[in-house]
Amino acid sequence: MSFVRLAQVSRHYGEVHALKRVSLEVAEGELVAVMGPSASGKSTLLNVAGGLDLPTSGTVTVDGADLAQVRDLPALRRRAVGYVFQDLNLIPSLTAAENVMLPRELDGVRTRRARAESLAVMEEVGVANLADRFPDEMSGGQRQRVAIARALVGDRRLVLADEPTGALDTHVSDEILHVLRGRADAGAAVLLVTHESRYAAWADRVVYLRDGEIVDSSLLEQVR
Amino acid sequence: MSVRHGLLALLSRGPRHGYQLRAEFESSTGATWPLNIGQVYTTLTRMERDGLVEQGEADEHGRVAYRITEAGRAEMERWFSTPVAQSDRPRDELVIKLALAITTHPNAHQVIQAQRAATMRTMQELTRAKRAALDGPAQRLVLDSMIFQAEAEQRWLDHCEAVLRES
Repeated sequence: MSFVRLAQVSRHYGEVHALKRVSLEVAEGELVAVMGPSASGKSTLLNVAGGLDLPTSGTVTVDGADLAQVRDLPALRRRAVGYVFQDLNLIPSLTAAENVMLPRELDGVRTRRARAESLAVMEEVGVANLADRFPDEMSGGQRQRVAIARALVGDRRLVLADEPTGALDTHVSDEILHVLRGRADAGAAVLLVTHESRYAAWADRVVYLRDGEIVDSSLLEQVR
Repeated sequence: MSVRHGLLALLSRGPRHGYQLRAEFESSTGATWPLNIGQVYTTLTRMERDGLVEQGEADEHGRVAYRITEAGRAEMERWFSTPVAQSDRPRDELVIKLALAITTHPNAHQVIQAQRAATMRTMQELTRAKRAALDGPAQRLVLDSMIFQAEAEQRWLDHCEAVLRES
C-alpha cells in the first residue's frame, strides 16, 4: 500500500518550473531513490512529498491524508516524517543523546521515555556508545549518524533523505544507507535523493528526474 | 592474473587439497570467478612440475594435500609486488557501441538511457549481494570493486548525455 503518493504534482517558482506533472508513489517497506543532475527538481520533490513545500497544482497524499486539507501540517510532519539532510546541525551544548531526545521532548513525550527511545535509535544507527559525548568530541561521520538518529527517533513511517551522505567517506556512507535500508525493511516508506548511483543502488526502485520531469525508472523484481 | 597465483596465495597459509583450494578461492573472490575441480588439479600438476608446490601424504579419504615450496613462495611474492598494467584490458564494448550510436543512430539518447537502466539494475543486484555477504571483508571488497566499476560507467553515461544535450 502506498504511504506517500504524488499525483500530477507541479511546482512553479515564478517562471521556473521546478516540477512538471510528477506522479510517484512510495509504499510502506519500500526504498525509492530519486536521481538526477543538479537543479533537476530532486530536492523540490522531496520537500513537496514531506509537506515542507506545497505544490502549485496536483495532490500529495501522506498516509491517506491530502496535505492540502490537513489542518495541522506541522504536527503531521513532526509525528510521521523523518528528515535527513546533508548538513544536520547538532546543538553543541547538548550531548548526543540529548540532541536525539529533543524532537520527542518537543512533542510532549516524557523525559524517561524520550531517553529510552533515543538510546534505542542510537543503537540502531550504531552510535549508542557516543550517548554522553558532545558534538565537538565526535568525528564528522559520528555527528552525521547522531543527526540521523535524531531524524529517525520515534515512529517515523516516512523517511525523507536529501543527499544524506554528503562528503562522508564511502564506507561511512554505506553504513548510513544500511540504516535507511533497515528502516524500509522494518516497514517505513523511504524516499532518498542522491546524485550518486552507488547509493541509489540500495533502493528497490530508481527514478530519474530531468528538468522537473521523471524520464525513466527502473524496477528491480522483488526477490528479497 | 592466473589461477596458479591464486592457489599459491592460499597454499601460503598451509597445506590444502584440491577441494579445499577451490572452496577458499571462491569464497575469497566473492564467487566472481568460479573454478571447476579439474582446473584446480591440472593447475596443481603443472605447478608441481615447475617446482612451486609438492605433494604431501594422503588423508584417510585418499585426498592428497599440496604444500608450497620456497620457489612457490618467491613466485607469489613476485606476483603480489607487481602492479597490474592498465594496457592489459580488452577494448570496452560499451564505449565502441555508444560511439557508433552517436555517429549513426537517430536517437542515441535511448541507447544511453537503456544502458543506464541496465547498469543500475546490475548495481542493485551487486548491492543486494553485498548486504548478504557474510564471508568477511575479501568477498565484500570484491563486490565493492564491481560496484565502483558500474558507478564509473553510470557517471560516464551521465556525462555523455550532458555533452550531447549541449552539442
